Amino acid sequence: MNHTLTITVNDEPAVVERLLQITRYRGFRLCGLDLKPLADTTGLLITLSVVSDKPVQLLTSQLNKLYDIKSLELATPDVAALRA
Amino acid sequence: MKGAELVIRFLEEQGVETIFGYPGGAIMPIYDALYQSKVKHYLCRHEQGGAFSAIGYARASGRVGVCMATSGPGATNIITSLADALLDSVPVVAITGQVSQAVMGSDAFQEIDVLGLSLPVTKHSFMVRDVNELADILQQAFDIAVSGRPGPVLVDIPKDVQLAEINCQAVSRVAKSAATENTTLPFAVAKQLLAQAKKPLAYIGGGVHMAEALPQLQQFLAASAMPTVTTLKGIGSVDKGWPYHLGMLGMHGTQAANFAVQQCDLLLCLGARFDDRVTGNLQKFAPHARVIHVDIDPAEINKVRFADCALLGDMQQILPQIATPLNCSDWLAHCQQLKQQYSWRYDHPGERIFAPLMLKQLSERMPDNSVVCCDVGQHQMWVAQHMRFSHPRNHLSSGGLGTMGFGLPAAIGARLARPQDTVIAVSGDGSFMMNVQELATIKRFRIPVKIVIIDNQRLGMVKQWQQLFFNERYSETDLSDNPDFVALAAAFAIPGHTISRKDEVESALEAMFTWPGPYLLHVRIDEKDNVWPLVPPGAANQDMLTEAGA
Repeated sequence: MNHTLTITVNDEPAVVERLLQITRYRGFRLCGLDLKPLADTTGLLITLSVVSDKPVQLLTSQLNKLYDIKSLELATPDVAALRA
Repeated sequence: MKGAELVIRFLEEQGVETIFGYPGGAIMPIYDALYQSKVKHYLCRHEQGGAFSAIGYARASGRVGVCMATSGPGATNIITSLADALLDSVPVVAITGQVSQAVMGSDAFQEIDVLGLSLPVTKHSFMVRDVNELADILQQAFDIAVSGRPGPVLVDIPKDVQLAEINCQAVSRVAKSAATENTTLPFAVAKQLLAQAKKPLAYIGGGVHMAEALPQLQQFLAASAMPTVTTLKGIGSVDKGWPYHLGMLGMHGTQAANFAVQQCDLLLCLGARFDDRVTGNLQKFAPHARVIHVDIDPAEINKVRFADCALLGDMQQILPQIATPLNCSDWLAHCQQLKQQYSWRYDHPGERIFAPLMLKQLSERMPDNSVVCCDVGQHQMWVAQHMRFSHPRNHLSSGGLGTMGFGLPAAIGARLARPQDTVIAVSGDGSFMMNVQELATIKRFRIPVKIVIIDNQRLGMVKQWQQLFFNERYSETDLSDNPDFVALAAAFAIPGHTISRKDEVESALEAMFTWPGPYLLHVRIDEKDNVWPLVPPGAANQDMLTEAGA
């Protein structure tokens, strides 16, 4: 199943590697990645698209533990369908 | 002052008295600042050993363990220990030197990407780019190591940052207090599930003692009498006098514990994580049970087993909220009957030493509040099964990572953390050789660790699996050319003795405990002795193999 996560992070060294490493290790395949500075330059806005048979909460609960993550939102299927 | 001096000043102001490490080029400024510091540094003989000593120090005391290493190989050598600390939730701060930023990224001498290497084995890790950030980062490292679910934190400090001048008086920062969640927890749901249960059972992990919630646990059990089982890391959590304690569950757990878990209708999981060594075949684990899961880490909820009720937060505060009088006297009586029916037997024939009996004798002879540090393998499971502990901080065993070589250096750290208590390293002939160089640390500092090597001249646990599941094809598990362990200890000025008969055990233990310094007791056992019971891979926990059935 596909999921899209919108994540804001502090712009610290290795923060993107942390996200990607956890995504891979916890059994989610990356199928999209977008990264840009936040408008107020306090961090980065990352959009992560992943696919896996596993419940996405197994990924979001691990990502939420990262110290450099400021916020994480999971796009619901309804919202994603509307945007599509 | 220089950044390197700031590091040592910070440790002093943080109240760190003991650190473990090994110097090298990229961390020399910090070692120079350490010279004549009141922080006592214990020189290990391999960085992995130093980091395990920091883990032993932390686990035995509840304080943060600190270790240091230089860049490149020094830092890579601590990776295994950090992974061990991560999987067993141990608060450790590792400080590594790094090459100067001017040459970073050029494959300089002893340069490796330590920050990158640390990502999957730490709770968090830092690279210090500017000396003005150093104090804040060190404070964050200590805060993160102990907050919530504890874990290891690495701080990588380039040499130019260590040498940079900074003008500051006090280096410690105000520790951030852990955020208190004000969310309303579903206590009523939990109490209702407890009240409805006919066969409730508490499954207790290492998270209870790490939350300093053992008094609350005993109070909870007094109010809500139910049978208890523990994980490897939960051993020692339940008062010895609790009549409904069934021992450890899981692959090498007691039959009583595993049968009770399989029969229960409510599993109260306290600070545990449904590890595969606990559950066996997950689909068949506790098949009749609803689950209440209490933990500090949200990522553990529903990770492996669905929780009918999740209580996230501080164990100290949660347990009093869910105490509920229960009406399950038939179930309690049944569990007591299971406990009697499947009690351990020590009537081993012949003269040769039977490790379970010897460890029971060791347990009965060792002074109160002794700390036992294990390695990994058959002896580790025998210790868990046959020794008795009054507190989980007295039983240090590498649980999650299962790291051979853990025991000896962990014992060094435990003894330095608790100099008033006896510390015993129980090892196997395979594991002991993995960090044997730490005998030199024991020699140098005359650390009175008692070492018991249970020697079957095999990698016993692997051999056991080869015997049972690989058609007796004993691939690379023969260690019959082991060194002379007593002579090896003597080379480090540690006296020792070898025994092989049951009638030698008592006097040998007496000699070991009455000797004032470090001592090595080499115990020869039969290679045919195996660990029982055993849940075979893929089986349900009620389908244990026993010695009689094997």
